[in-house]
Amino acid sequence: MKAVIHDLNEEYERLLREKCEEMISANGRYAPCQGCFGCWTKHPAECYMKDSLQTACRIIGRADEVIIITDNCYGAYSPAVKNVLDRSIGLSTPLSTYRGKQMHHTLRYGRKDKLRVYAYGDMTDAEQETFRNMVERNAINFGFRESEFHYLAFLDELEGITL
Amino acid sequence: MKTVLINGSPKRKLSVSSYLLGILRLWVRGGVVKEQIRSKKDHERVLEHIKTADTVVFGLPLYVDGVPSHILAFLKDMESFCREHSICVKVYVISNGGFIEGNQNRPLMQVMENFCRRSKIEWCGGIGIGGGVMLNVLRIMFVVYLGLFLLNVVLSGAGTGNWLPSEVAGNFAKQAGMTLFFHLGVFFYSVRMGMAVNKGKYCGEKFTRVLLPSFLFILMADVFFVIISVFQGGILKGWLRKK
Repeated sequence: MKAVIHDLNEEYERLLREKCEEMISANGRYAPCQGCFGCWTKHPAECYMKDSLQTACRIIGRADEVIIITDNCYGAYSPAVKNVLDRSIGLSTPLSTYRGKQMHHTLRYGRKDKLRVYAYGDMTDAEQETFRNMVERNAINFGFRESEFHYLAFLDELEGITL
Repeated sequence: MKTVLINGSPKRKLSVSSYLLGILRLWVRGGVVKEQIRSKKDHERVLEHIKTADTVVFGLPLYVDGVPSHILAFLKDMESFCREHSICVKVYVISNGGFIEGNQNRPLMQVMENFCRRSKIEWCGGIGIGGGVMLNVLRIMFVVYLGLFLLNVVLSGAGTGNWLPSEVAGNFAKQAGMTLFFHLGVFFYSVRMGMAVNKGKYCGEKFTRVLLPSFLFILMADVFFVIISVFQGGILKGWLRKK
């Protein structure tokens, strides 16, 4: 199953909806993570905040492939997309292990195939390098076997992409 | 000289970011203002402080390998504000993650450096710290040790007239020594950063951790989460299951 997380407008959302099974629209109409760990220790894989991201981690957790389309923010995800990821740590468990020779949490939903990130907006070379590193780190953290990072100089390039 | 310490943790109390900024504060001279950003409504107040500041130090928790989303939103506002008011502050960062390896904070540092370039303000480096949650546990335990030590001193003094029995003093010295040892990397780089802040100099990007072997840290972290999950009830609600 493919899941898309994006911060695009409704026009692009319609275009993407035809190409994937699950979609999380990062529209910013939800609260940021409060760092309480309740999604690990109190009500597993569920956030205590009752908004559209309450069980978002389950969508990402069940997907074999996750595609993120995001505006660039200093070589990182846009605040709205990052908010979705911050609220999705329930896709792992509170227990720890080694992955990629470093400490990480064990995976509630097991290993996944691929994380693909498309970033758009003005982006310097340094920011592209930062983003590439970040995506590699995220792939290890969330248990993806592979990761790809693509910079979209023009958003129109999205139409030609096979999701 | 005015330094603004910005706690980027959303937690109301007992955040590791606040604790680490508190350690740094011991070494920073001049006027120091401590602020916290939890949501959009804090932006304007903090930006007003930045307007008259020479230095800004962010204390940030590491969320999913990067800067927490509510802080990214603040950085965007701060970029516009700095450009609009031609502000040129010096920026330092102390970040901490739950994982033991301090260098897992590296992408966060890179993002903060990119932010400074965009905002035309001066990136002065930072410290990335691993094992943040354990630092919090250690500081709470130290307060407990201190409380027990004082209680023993009073009981012994009142009962026998010996106000500092060697066994009580020895135990406390051992406990305090252990706490200090686990913190050594943090203290060393905090003093170094404090001196750099006072001189307005770049302090490099340094990574440190709670001074414990990682396999032991993982074991202790697992025990910690089991205990918390038992008390909060999650262990009986499909603790490790797919949902």
